[in-house]
Amino acid sequence: MLKGLVLACAGFALFQIIHVPLFRLQVSEFRFRTMVRIAFALGILLLVVYLATPPDLGFLPAASTKAGWAIDLLNGLLVFAFLFVGYCMFYFLIDRGFSGRIMIEIEASPHRRLHPAEIAARYSLEMVLRRRLGEMLEIGRITVLHGRYCNTKKGRWSAAMFAFVKKFLQLGEGG
Amino acid sequence: MRGLVAGMLAFGVYFLVQAVVFHSVQVSRRALVLAGLWLGGLPVYVWFYTWLPDDRSVWPAPLVAPSDVTTLFSGGLLYFFLFMGYAQFFYMAESSVGVRTMIELASEPEKGLTLEELTKRYHYDWMLDRRLRRLVHAGYLIEEMGYYRTTARGRLAAAVLKWCKRLLRLGPGG
Repeated sequence: MLKGLVLACAGFALFQIIHVPLFRLQVSEFRFRTMVRIAFALGILLLVVYLATPPDLGFLPAASTKAGWAIDLLNGLLVFAFLFVGYCMFYFLIDRGFSGRIMIEIEASPHRRLHPAEIAARYSLEMVLRRRLGEMLEIGRITVLHGRYCNTKKGRWSAAMFAFVKKFLQLGEGG
Repeated sequence: MRGLVAGMLAFGVYFLVQAVVFHSVQVSRRALVLAGLWLGGLPVYVWFYTWLPDDRSVWPAPLVAPSDVTTLFSGGLLYFFLFMGYAQFFYMAESSVGVRTMIELASEPEKGLTLEELTKRYHYDWMLDRRLRRLVHAGYLIEEMGYYRTTARGRLAAAVLKWCKRLLRLGPGG
């Protein structure tokens, strides 16, 4: 089972090696899409490398090569996919985290302290909503018709699903 | 397969238990309950692992893994990753402004809403206050006479986030 795990970790390390310099060199509007495409390509590469290399990769102990190839490969792909999902969580926290932005604004203020009204002045509701609407337009959840925002079919489905989850788990209106 | 199946079964049990808990009790400390239930599920994972038969007696050769530490670890990893993925979904449902916006737009499916109309539906004070309270509770901020300042932990978190934003050229964000 070690071969799949080693290749999954190597694939994720390669993802970082490609993704970080790419984001530094080029500011893309479709960052998340770029990340997904890199991860998808590396997933296929992982599959090819797995099939083309010996069970011990030339350095693993013999005891680690006893698992069937299909379970080892499946395990490796799952770990790679979940490492990517976990990284996406971290990425969204950095990019979109409202709480993180609050702490950065407080730290950047002259006296390193802010009143809620001062935070609101630095990052208004309109700015928050504009950013979210832009992101949802990008991923096709909403559209603009005659200057008004409307859900697309995908957006309507997402809204219904999340409204159900919120109600079922008693999460309040949130946002 | 034994590890992966045990990981999936343990997550299935976790998912049902947390759904029942959140549905029947109004939980205020949600993160604590989510993580506590997941930790409580670890013995359930071990139980499923020991309860399931050895792969050789059930699965075809390509899907057979030896019942060793790596297999046990792989299943545990799956249980952990499924939890992390679910936590992401849970907090998206709970706190995401984007999700709330889609729900607000769903209330006007025909004519939609303008930015101004959407803004009126939000209570920004409440949104901000909720986040500030959470940050204070988690030890990132301190409130002093209506003003908020960062603790050492908050300063570290802000510095790390700012550095990552700069590294990936993400702009101020939020």
